[in-house]
Amino acid sequence: MTSLFINNQEVEVTPGTSILEACREHGHDVPYFCYHPELSVAANCRMCLVEVEGWGKPAASCCTPVSEGMKVKTQSASLAKDREMVMEYLLIHHPLDCPVCDQGGSCKLQDYTVEHGASKGRYAEPKRAVVNYELGPFVNTCMTRCIHCTRCVRFADEVAGTGDIGILNRSDHMSIAGIVEEALESELSGNLPDICPVGALLDKPSHDVSRPWEMSHHKSTCTQCPNGCDISIESRGDEVMRIRPIDGSPEPWICDRGRYVYDAFRSDNRILKPTVRRDGALEEATWDEAFEQVSALLKGKRVGILFSPDWSIEGQMAIRLMRDALFPAARVAYGLHRRDMRSFAFEEGFSMTTAQIEAADQVVVLGSDLRQRLPLLMQRLRKRSRAGKPVSRIGAMNYRTNMDISSDALVRPRDWAAVIARAMEQISQVGKTAAGFDSWMAAVPERHEAGKVLADALLADSCALLVGEEIRAHEDAAALIHGLDLLMRACGHAESGNDGRNLIPEGMNRQVLSATHGDVRVSAGDLFAAASAGDLDALILIGSDPVGDGLFPSAAKAALARVPLVQIGSLSGEMAQFAAVQLPAAAYSEVAGTFVNMEGRIRVASNPIKSLGQERPLWKVMMRMIQVMGADVPVVNLDELRAVVANRLPELAGAWGAAAADTVLIKPRRNRDVSYTPVARSDSFELDVVSRYSMYREGMWARASDLLSEAGRIHALDDVLVHPQTLEAKGMTAGEHRVRTFLGEATYHIGLREDVSPGVLFVGKRGVAGDLSDVSGASIVGGASE
Amino acid sequence: MTISSDPKQVKQICFDNINVPDMNKLAVAREHGAYAFLPTVLKEFDSAKIIDEVKTSGLRGRGGAGFPTGLKWSFVPRNTGKPTYLLCNADEGEPGTFKDRDIMRFDPHLLIEGMIMAGFALNVHDAYIYIRGEFLHEANVMNEAIAEAYAANLLGENILGSGYSMHLTVHRGAGAYICGEETALIESLEGKPGRPRFKPPFPAVEGFYGCPTVVNNVETLATVPAILEFGGQWHASIGVPNNTGCKIFSVSGHVNKPGNYEVPMGTSLKTLIEEYCGGLQHGTVPKVIIPGGSSTPWLTAEHYDTPLTYDALMKAGSFLGSGAIIVMDETADLVALTHRLAHFYAHESCGQCTPCREGTGWLERIMDRVEHGKGNAKDVAVLKDAATHMAGRTICALAEGAAAPVLSLLKFFPEDVKTRLAEKSS
Amino acid sequence: MSADAVRFSEERLAEIETLVKRYPGPQSALMPVLYMAQEDFGYLSMDTQKMIAGVLGLRLMQVREVVTFYTMFREQPCGTHLLEVCTNAGCMLNGAYELAEHMCKTLGIKMGETTPDGLFTIAEVECAGACGGAPVVQVNNIYHEKATPDSMDALITHVRAQAGGKA
Ligand SMILES: Cc1cc2nc3c(=O)[nH]c(=O)nc-3n(C[C@H](O)[C@H](O)[C@H](O)COP(=O)(O)O)c2cc1C
Ligand code: SF4
Ligand code: FES
Repeated sequence: MTSLFINNQEVEVTPGTSILEACREHGHDVPYFCYHPELSVAANCRMCLVEVEGWGKPAASCCTPVSEGMKVKTQSASLAKDREMVMEYLLIHHPLDCPVCDQGGSCKLQDYTVEHGASKGRYAEPKRAVVNYELGPFVNTCMTRCIHCTRCVRFADEVAGTGDIGILNRSDHMSIAGIVEEALESELSGNLPDICPVGALLDKPSHDVSRPWEMSHHKSTCTQCPNGCDISIESRGDEVMRIRPIDGSPEPWICDRGRYVYDAFRSDNRILKPTVRRDGALEEATWDEAFEQVSALLKGKRVGILFSPDWSIEGQMAIRLMRDALFPAARVAYGLHRRDMRSFAFEEGFSMTTAQIEAADQVVVLGSDLRQRLPLLMQRLRKRSRAGKPVSRIGAMNYRTNMDISSDALVRPRDWAAVIARAMEQISQVGKTAAGFDSWMAAVPERHEAGKVLADALLADSCALLVGEEIRAHEDAAALIHGLDLLMRACGHAESGNDGRNLIPEGMNRQVLSATHGDVRVSAGDLFAAASAGDLDALILIGSDPVGDGLFPSAAKAALARVPLVQIGSLSGEMAQFAAVQLPAAAYSEVAGTFVNMEGRIRVASNPIKSLGQERPLWKVMMRMIQVMGADVPVVNLDELRAVVANRLPELAGAWGAAAADTVLIKPRRNRDVSYTPVARSDSFELDVVSRYSMYREGMWARASDLLSEAGRIHALDDVLVHPQTLEAKGMTAGEHRVRTFLGEATYHIGLREDVSPGVLFVGKRGVAGDLSDVSGASIVGGASE
Repeated sequence: MTISSDPKQVKQICFDNINVPDMNKLAVAREHGAYAFLPTVLKEFDSAKIIDEVKTSGLRGRGGAGFPTGLKWSFVPRNTGKPTYLLCNADEGEPGTFKDRDIMRFDPHLLIEGMIMAGFALNVHDAYIYIRGEFLHEANVMNEAIAEAYAANLLGENILGSGYSMHLTVHRGAGAYICGEETALIESLEGKPGRPRFKPPFPAVEGFYGCPTVVNNVETLATVPAILEFGGQWHASIGVPNNTGCKIFSVSGHVNKPGNYEVPMGTSLKTLIEEYCGGLQHGTVPKVIIPGGSSTPWLTAEHYDTPLTYDALMKAGSFLGSGAIIVMDETADLVALTHRLAHFYAHESCGQCTPCREGTGWLERIMDRVEHGKGNAKDVAVLKDAATHMAGRTICALAEGAAAPVLSLLKFFPEDVKTRLAEKSS
Repeated sequence: MSADAVRFSEERLAEIETLVKRYPGPQSALMPVLYMAQEDFGYLSMDTQKMIAGVLGLRLMQVREVVTFYTMFREQPCGTHLLEVCTNAGCMLNGAYELAEHMCKTLGIKMGETTPDGLFTIAEVECAGACGGAPVVQVNNIYHEKATPDSMDALITHVRAQAGGKA
């Protein structure tokens, strides 16, 4: 430790700390603009000057490291004059248009002018003109207000990895600019207005709608991806005005999906009142009328239940209680992206924290578009790569990452077994093995060179394996994951304390779901098949849209054509057309509830925003349903419900205590006894189908958001893509072609893209491509039919 | 390299052969002793000895800051597992400076030889000459000389069979004064805008591509061969203590024979101007002398006898800087000149530091008004405030340089300003 | 016009390939490559900048930042003869402004402009590093020291005559 004196107070800090950080740590105020704790140091604003005894000149505290015995002063007459002058320099070209600026009230320049500025500027010359530029659908620019702190430039470079914001020209013609005709492509762009200390970069959607001081703040958890960021929901009355990251969270950023989804909260898509289908149309009804209808449809019937993983743990527990009380034989599905329902050697969820992943010697991403899927984990990986640490990747497409991938391989989903077997072979050669290696390898006839990328990384001391949707949704997923598990064991990455096995879950709360619903779970596909086969009488859908999302849209449509649907949730979506009854349940912003993210980190939201309509928390809807349908109501308040949860999942018992919440980590389930070897696929389709997950389009909330939908249009890919060789080999060119799958033949527009693996049919726009989402194999059979 | 037949009689180190026709050709240079001592250095000297000799010589960097060269070299960490780079600063942008240009166009092999020796001492395998973009001819001459040196195995792999390899590349700047500042130079050489980096880390530890890097001025490096051949002691015996050796002074402005003059340190300003430069164009005593390039504070007639050493000029309130002496006689319009220099710094500020970016533009605009008779009473105070709070509060010293002319004008010639104001101050 | 329209010749690309090897990273080759492009295409259009970004594997913004920072990179075409008059201290004290004014008059244009025949662009530049020969005028980067109104007039007349001869 280094000890120094700040304003005569002796303090100790880690060697290498900057004076500014030492001051911040110990509560000595130093003004600054360009410094940002998450960004590299630029030291260009010169506002952070302090005096160091014995130095002839004031020092910029942000870029001056502390040294032993240093005597720092943060206040003096001469510093006050220096700061006043910096303010004067900064303001000479500033428009001083605070009354019309959205930043007013939360502007560093405004605050410091009051605190450090002179009463009157002395600049009498013309102010410079500056051009604005395009930063994507979410950011407005007003560059005359820019103070050139370069935070946005560093953010784009270091965090977003896009680097599309730069510094043009020099001297006082210097300007911060984007590429004029190209909008910034970043899934983190909404953070730019947050990091801009003045009103140069502003939030476009909330432009001019409200002032910072009119908002009330609600701490909550974002459920838009399994990262589960802490968010602050800012509302005026019951209207959500914006969502922002929370100061002091592990991550100071949130992604655009989590931030801009809020307009869905008040979209026409909301279910705000119970409805009942009468004469073919859904009509408003009272709760009693609706429940009567539910009762009529479901009582004594064979039902299937499908729900979304995004509900709070309390909501999910209530679903279980409802099932047990009313339909003890019902099959339950959660999630829409899994075909293979055998137990996985390591189940969905992370063994590691994101901080541990950032620090690991090696990281391998298997079959995941991480930037879309987990934008903030992607940002962590970029951070580690800037620190010179490798990230390898194997997958069906060279998904864009905005970072340098150290080793990269393209594979078809059918090759995964050969990839793993190749890795096993290499690992065995250096004398590492695990029981079951040989029979696993023996079951796979081929070897795929991409296995070298995997094996090379596994040989490091610590290796984080991030297993993604291409494997999770694979028909033989349990065998592949077992193979990966063997590899991880052989290399010592499967021990407690050094467990690198991470299976990227489809949504929030996955670790909890294994405990609360694991025993009654089936695949959504099975549920639809059962309904289509006449084995079910009705479906209950709780916050899920299997036609818009997931692997089974055609199967879902077929099932819903046969059996009635009771829809419970916050959003109507495409499901409304099938619903016989709709019951409104409150959105995640509107409930007090508990959430677990992919790392197993617990968050308790306790300050919900007001409901907009008649919607009630899901658990209350469930309890009411139990009551109406004549069973005993198992719990009457949240505490009782939580006690039931804690019963199933003892780790959670302390979660609602005072301080424990942030530290509880629930580990994903391990199934040590499973042992599956790969089986050869029997169908004869030449191409493997992989569909893209788009953060702007996936999930009911995103589709209900106009803001995200607009961004989705900007970031869209062609409907269906293949590697150029794939068509070349058939003597075809890009265009309309017939595609055959087990569902039949249909015509699609097929585009070309180098970064798709040969042998893969990549579905760029799920939903638009309809039936292709249901299949895992396809063949291109010819040109468009005339 | 050989200095005139008798090193004891030396008057010139870098310029010893500056007037030899075709000295840029390897054959001619060799006839005049170029590379003659190099094999001995490569064979018999080692890094420690070379650095010792340079330390003993008392050589101080000729680029402007006057930092002891041997000491700078000794800061380079060894065995870091990273390569060490040597960068020759040939940006020569400081208004008034034009000495490096002559070394490069007339005696390029002297610089190459100096760089090989320095590179050998620092275990450098890739060295670069960063030359200002305008010096196209000089870059061409350097490149031809380098090509000849490669052909003669003076550069490249296994130089003269010594086992030491060094590659040398000329890299052209493109019109940015700030790239003479060593960290801006590094940024520029990395293919980026030349915006200075804050220190620490110092380039010696983390410079070019994050590796240990030494940046030296052309004249500094061109002095190295003589020091190694004749010994550090010999170099230390020229000039005065702590200010040893010779220095090239680029003299311009109102003198009759402007040009480069290499003289022993300690020669007085007056001697240089009167004996070498043929005196002033008008009058006998200069009105203003800018002794070390336009960024250094002005001296006036009272300093005419000051010896040209780092120490004496500092005592007089200025700096020796790059040795660029701009002389002005009584005909000079100092307000116009200050405005012109303010324009220069406003044009050349890299733009990153608030006080420099905004301050230089502000000074220029006020000076413009004052020069054109549109100034007002408050301008003097604003000029002083704006200039004072730029200096020493920024990443690099450009802001300080920008403040110097304005503050000098206000200090020595307040009347020149006041008489130009439209509205006189009380 | 698409970025495909601007292309380096095969020889240039080979030259760039060797050039890149002289530096620890390819971005260092950016400035020399910009000079090449300026020589080949006259100035650095946006398409040229995009093409260069592609050749060196850089982002367009990295190229834009460099092009706009350095004064010797031009985003606009200029006359075949670029006359750059130094007006900094050394030259100013030796009549550079008077010289510049005279040259503008001879050319019939203002500072910073190009003659309608495309032969000359005249610009004021910062210290050329040749103050011993003040005033200095660079003509396409060739230094003319101790320039006088007469010597510059002669140069202009000569260029005009040559161009006229060709036409
Ligand atoms: C604004 C500025 C401009 C500079 N320009 C030059 C220059 O053109 N040539 C030069 O050699 N040094 C220049 N320097 C000094 C360099 O930063 C550095 O000190 C020098 O190259 C070190 O070499 P030396 O130790 O051999 O003198 C400049 C410094 C500053 C602050
Ligand atoms: S002082 Fe001026 S030139 Fe130097 S780094 Fe700061 S802004 Fe750039
Ligand atoms: S915070 Fe230190 S210079 Fe900006």
